[in-house]
Amino acid sequence: MGGKVTCTLGEVKNRADLIIYWGGNPAECHPRHFTKYTLMPKGKFVPEGRKGRTMVLVDIRETPSAKAADIFLQIRPGKDFEVLTILRALVKNRQIDETAVAETGLSLETLKDLAARMKRARFGVVFFGMGLSMTRGKHMNSAAVLTLAAELNAYTKFVCMPMRGHGNVTGSDMVLRWTTGFPFGTNLSRGYPRFNPGEFSTVDLIVRGDNDAALILGADPGATMPQPGIDHLGRIPTIVLDPKVTHTSRLSRVHITTAATGISAPGTAYRMDEIPLPLRPALKSPYPTDEEIIKRIRAAVAAKPAWTPAAIPARATA
Amino acid sequence: MLRIAGGRVYDPANGIDGVVQDLCIDGGRVVGDVHGGRSIDASGMVILPGGVDIHTHVAGAALNFARGLTPENYRKAVPFLHGPERRAGLGGITPTTFATGYLYAAMGWTTVNEAAVPILSARHTHEELRDTPVVDKASLVLMANNEIVLDLLEADELEQAREVVAWLIWAAKCYGVKAVNPGGVAAWKWGKNASNLHEPIEGYSRVTPAKIIAGLAQIVDDLRLPHPLHIHCNNLGIPGNISTTLETMRVLDGHRAHLAHLQFHAYGGDGWGTMRSEASTLADYFNAHTSFSCDAGAILFGDAMTITADGPWQHLLHQLTGRKWGNVDVENETGCGIVPYVYKGHNLVNAVQWAAGLELLLLIKDPWRIFLTTDHPNGAGFWRYPELIRLLMDVEHRRDCLKKLPKRALRRTVLADLDRKYTLSDIAVVTSAGPARALGLTAKGHLGVGADADLAIYAQGPDGISFGRPRYVIKEGQVVVEDGEVRPASEGREFLVRPSYDEKIEEYLRPLFQKVYTMSFDNYPVEMERLTRPDVRACE
Repeated sequence: MGGKVTCTLGEVKNRADLIIYWGGNPAECHPRHFTKYTLMPKGKFVPEGRKGRTMVLVDIRETPSAKAADIFLQIRPGKDFEVLTILRALVKNRQIDETAVAETGLSLETLKDLAARMKRARFGVVFFGMGLSMTRGKHMNSAAVLTLAAELNAYTKFVCMPMRGHGNVTGSDMVLRWTTGFPFGTNLSRGYPRFNPGEFSTVDLIVRGDNDAALILGADPGATMPQPGIDHLGRIPTIVLDPKVTHTSRLSRVHITTAATGISAPGTAYRMDEIPLPLRPALKSPYPTDEEIIKRIRAAVAAKPAWTPAAIPARATA
Repeated sequence: MLRIAGGRVYDPANGIDGVVQDLCIDGGRVVGDVHGGRSIDASGMVILPGGVDIHTHVAGAALNFARGLTPENYRKAVPFLHGPERRAGLGGITPTTFATGYLYAAMGWTTVNEAAVPILSARHTHEELRDTPVVDKASLVLMANNEIVLDLLEADELEQAREVVAWLIWAAKCYGVKAVNPGGVAAWKWGKNASNLHEPIEGYSRVTPAKIIAGLAQIVDDLRLPHPLHIHCNNLGIPGNISTTLETMRVLDGHRAHLAHLQFHAYGGDGWGTMRSEASTLADYFNAHTSFSCDAGAILFGDAMTITADGPWQHLLHQLTGRKWGNVDVENETGCGIVPYVYKGHNLVNAVQWAAGLELLLLIKDPWRIFLTTDHPNGAGFWRYPELIRLLMDVEHRRDCLKKLPKRALRRTVLADLDRKYTLSDIAVVTSAGPARALGLTAKGHLGVGADADLAIYAQGPDGISFGRPRYVIKEGQVVVEDGEVRPASEGREFLVRPSYDEKIEEYLRPLFQKVYTMSFDNYPVEMERLTRPDVRACE
């Protein structure tokens, strides 16, 4: 298993006739997704718009998104991986263990119908949310859904995309990838990038209390981290750059108010499909931008004696 | 000011073949004479113009996708430690941007051409190119599966298509036009491919790959772009694709064209079991038709990362190898596929591929028309070019390597019979002078007065020249590599063109755009301010 078969959102708008949301609630979390990209638009090859598309929602509870769906499949909590694996088997016409099906909360007929719809689709897409990728099974659930989509390409056109959100998280991924090779969980303490999710990822680092300072930009971990992590951020010198007061800024040692990117500061934001969009500020702000602050911190740090590995011989001779 | 004294200069563009002479540099360019400034004693050393990579994939959404897809590859990559004036990074088969600039420079290459830019994410490509230090950069925009252009070809509106292409090149801030698997990637949007050049592609009744190829070649010539149409032929990698490649050249007859990574298009046979090299057939045709240039796209055994806009081929490769598969279809424009790959010497197909790349480099007689590439990172990492140079210059070494291949493979190649040996001057042509000329970069690839002062100085040891480790590398007159250490240097330039078009074309594009794209028309063109040191070249 491995890999990712995906597309840009315009492909969905122009072609998709089967749209599956799995473990997400776009009606509340990505409120423009239906209207701009997936359900409502008249696409180049879906001229009838909503009528030309079938939407399936898979989740453990009935969220407001279910109203928009043609088919809502409520599965038992923690059974995503099993359902996905059964679907993979059904797509390939393999034998199914009926007791495994019974545990998922869905009937075999329902699953067979979904597998048949997937194979019959002209262009199918699965969007998966944190209800899949952050619940029991975690990255194995993501791998299962990505593999299902990849395998469907033996029968028809099928793609898959995570429903990313929280500001410009995709942009952060992209920049880290081209500068360090890794999307997150990157450790530069040896002077070059190392990657080890679980060891260097932010939540693990902070919950263990490994770091002795924190600079937080464009995030509010004080609202989402486990309590031991929040406690640790309150103990160490934490610096927050944010236009507004947040849970994190309240527990920080220093909060620098910055201009809001996209409203009063220019920049680039990446969509969930990794397409960059330019941001043009509509207003002026009395506050400096994130970029200005970081540049000034860098200049101040550069003025101090270097500790980097490359500079050690120079210091030894001095 | 800089004087390089007493080096043996190889400057084939100016007919200089191993002449000991001083080179003088001022203001980033080669000049007739200088008084004062630094002097480098290059006596006993060899001087070549800085390398020009005409076809490489070093920046952009596809490469960044590959980086994220294979973090495990970096475990054995060369780390670059950050210092006061150097950025951290990792080498390996898909190096990070800063490492890419350092690795090219450390090898003596000073100009690179990023060969595949989707317009929708061109802004991203330029961000990465800005973070690729030292080297100068050019880039090619993907056009042969752009549905706005294909729709115009369907309606036989070639003039309108030319206006659209010109507008798109400027929107992407690119230097030239690339055609990848013409029509095949558009068909892939429906899970199909385009394998016959004369059959209409999926979703169209009159557009065939041949029509796209001929149309784009005409448009590129009409727009007088400095670099001809850069084409990745249909049926890449497939046994028997020689017929497609020859037919592509027939379709292109009368136009300029650059055929990319020709090795991947030089196969006979009708399946993996019968695959053989048809490099000699291809070279015969190529030798007789002088309006074409090509690059080798040679493979070397070891790790590779196949990254191409050729989506259907990548699906096939994923099915063949069972390895990870990345795919991104880009709305209305193109797609890309990614599959990690390892070329193995004992594998029959890989052995034939290895031989075919070298055969093309040896059988195409005019070094000014075939250039050294590995289609990085598809055939091998660019940092392995010195291995290829050795294989071309040292016949004994080549024969030794050939002996290690499976016997069955030897019957499918003529490499054992070839005893051509590249001279240093030939190497200067295929790595620098030739690709610079094919790109239309007049100040690159030579060391005459007025040329950009980009050059590499190699020490000559008892075992010959160590091409992987130049003694000095000069870029725009600055010493950027000395004693194997990359030194901080100014950022490289970005070359682009501004082909002429009627502004009214925007009235045609705007409503169409709002209908089929998900980005607004005004956000689509890359702003000039995003490029560092842009250098707009004339279309003459």
